[in-house]
Amino acid sequence: MALEVSHVVGGYSQIPVLKDISFDVKDGELVGLIGLNGAGKSTTINHVIGLLTPHKGKISINGITIDQDSQAYKQQIAYIPETPVLYQELTLREHLEMTMMAYDLDQKVAWDKAHDLLKTFRLANKLDWFPANFSKGMKQKVMIVCAFLTNAKLFIIDEPFLGLDPLAVNDLLNLIEQRKKTGASILMSTHVLDTAQRYCDRFVLLHDGQVKTEGTLSELQAALPEAGESLNDIYLSMTKVDRA
Amino acid sequence: MTGLFKTRLQRHLREMAKYLRLVFNDFFVFALLFFLGGLGWGYSNVLKTLKAGLWWAPLVVLLVLVIVAQIGRFATLIEDADRVFLLPRERAMHAYLVAARRYSQFLAQCTQLIALFILAPFLSVALGWTLPQVLVLALAQVVLKDSLLRLDLASVYQVTGQRRMNQWPFKWLLAIVVVASGVWLSPYVGLLLALVADGAVAVWERQHWQSQQIRWREQIKIEDNRMLGIYRFFNMFTEVPMVSGTIKRRRYLDWLFKGIKPIHSQTYLYLFSRGMVRGTDFSGLVVRLTVIGMLLLYFVRGEWLPVILAALFIYLIGFQLLPFFQQYDDVVFTHVYPVLPALRLKNFVKLVTLILSTTALLLWVVVVIANPHLMTAGITLAVEVVEVWYLARIYTPHRLARADQK
Repeated sequence: MALEVSHVVGGYSQIPVLKDISFDVKDGELVGLIGLNGAGKSTTINHVIGLLTPHKGKISINGITIDQDSQAYKQQIAYIPETPVLYQELTLREHLEMTMMAYDLDQKVAWDKAHDLLKTFRLANKLDWFPANFSKGMKQKVMIVCAFLTNAKLFIIDEPFLGLDPLAVNDLLNLIEQRKKTGASILMSTHVLDTAQRYCDRFVLLHDGQVKTEGTLSELQAALPEAGESLNDIYLSMTKVDRA
Repeated sequence: MTGLFKTRLQRHLREMAKYLRLVFNDFFVFALLFFLGGLGWGYSNVLKTLKAGLWWAPLVVLLVLVIVAQIGRFATLIEDADRVFLLPRERAMHAYLVAARRYSQFLAQCTQLIALFILAPFLSVALGWTLPQVLVLALAQVVLKDSLLRLDLASVYQVTGQRRMNQWPFKWLLAIVVVASGVWLSPYVGLLLALVADGAVAVWERQHWQSQQIRWREQIKIEDNRMLGIYRFFNMFTEVPMVSGTIKRRRYLDWLFKGIKPIHSQTYLYLFSRGMVRGTDFSGLVVRLTVIGMLLLYFVRGEWLPVILAALFIYLIGFQLLPFFQQYDDVVFTHVYPVLPALRLKNFVKLVTLILSTTALLLWVVVVIANPHLMTAGITLAVEVVEVWYLARIYTPHRLARADQK
């Protein structure tokens, strides 16, 4: 079991945003974290990457919690934030090198990988630029390249499809596919439901800080037979129940 | 729209008042009074020695008045969001801008009048002017400033295509012509010219603004720069959150990083060193204090004074470097990277050691050059070594570990 979130209560302050949520991501699996704005997706992700400490409950990655061994825990994660975050003073080359140093990667192997990734995302000629001055889409590509440099076992990707051009979305999906084959797991939050429907193995539908339903598309369809065929329909019907 | 300006002005003035209270603390006011008193006394002494008919006196007046005429910028208080939210009300913005100019007038014209007031005894002694002449020149100066601010207002609109009308060569030229004719020909001629310029700009602006677009982007940038200048000033006395330094590539300093091998244990030294060199905030501070310290030590003689001064400057720098540790706390990767916090602290301590050692060495060299005594040189070196060791290795980690726990 790559990621296991069990009975987590948590949030930014004493008032909990997440109310006892549990789900897991298995090895080689792409799980979509779906929910409205404010449903608790980002809060969940912040708990998983260790920015927030749960009030109650436990989060473990391959059996290790952050309290047991923070370095081993973090070593297994690569994170791609929704809004790209960069070090203002580092060039693209230095961002890559910094990632290699932080994850203690072999420089030569990592640079071979990096050059391939840079070529894929058409950044190869921008190694000496400050990515802080790039457009949002290009900054996001830098985040993707840095994350996929690592040998992480769990990739956490927060809303990757907004801001990327269609070619880059396709390239990202290919990268995810490759990593899944080597046994890595991916937890991805998104609003782009038709893409999620096509690529995710399983879905966790969050609503108001709780896991509403969870399962493969066919499982969801079976659970909500009158909702409709597509993930979009299921998602809408799920939120409608609450609005009524 | 004038209402909007009023609301913004109130907010602006409240903010300025908050900072001014911090700037003009008791100590600073006391120092300032002494400084101004000394300056006034010196000025009156100089005046006593002057006689009429000095050839350079009109030049001094010209220089002072032309520079003073540039003081007092057009404060629009325009904000970045305005180009989205106020775009549909572009025509109505004129009332806002007129209100803004009226406010800018107040501060700018006070400055002009104070300058003339200070200059008046000089005019009367060195040029032999009478009171009416001085008053007319003051009036000319005020009208000149009025025309310059009007020029700023007109330039908000794309009146002359891509070229702005209020570029500095033009503003300086206008001021030189008006003041020079006022000083050498007659203050009445200066007043006349200022009135003509002011009238011309007014007519020109009135005819054109209705058919022109506002230069939103440029105007926002100008206002941001103006505010940044004010914040920078306040930043010398107190912490101002709005001031964040700029980043420069400084490729010529890349050799500094050669010694830092790209290995896991130096992850943060890699980042901190580049951040320090390429950011302007902290590196500027270190360089400024080091240079001031070196200059001071060059002119100071004695057995103990150089030792105390060198120690003081190292302490000042070391102390001010501490907040740099938190520089990257809001970059999420600082927390996500699998690097132990203890290693980050260790890397920071190394950076502080490197910086303080360099400063200490430079200061020591100056001390040795200025004081060719073996004793002073030796004591300075010993004190510096102990101080750098204590500040960097003991004090810094202790303080930061305590701050981290909070």
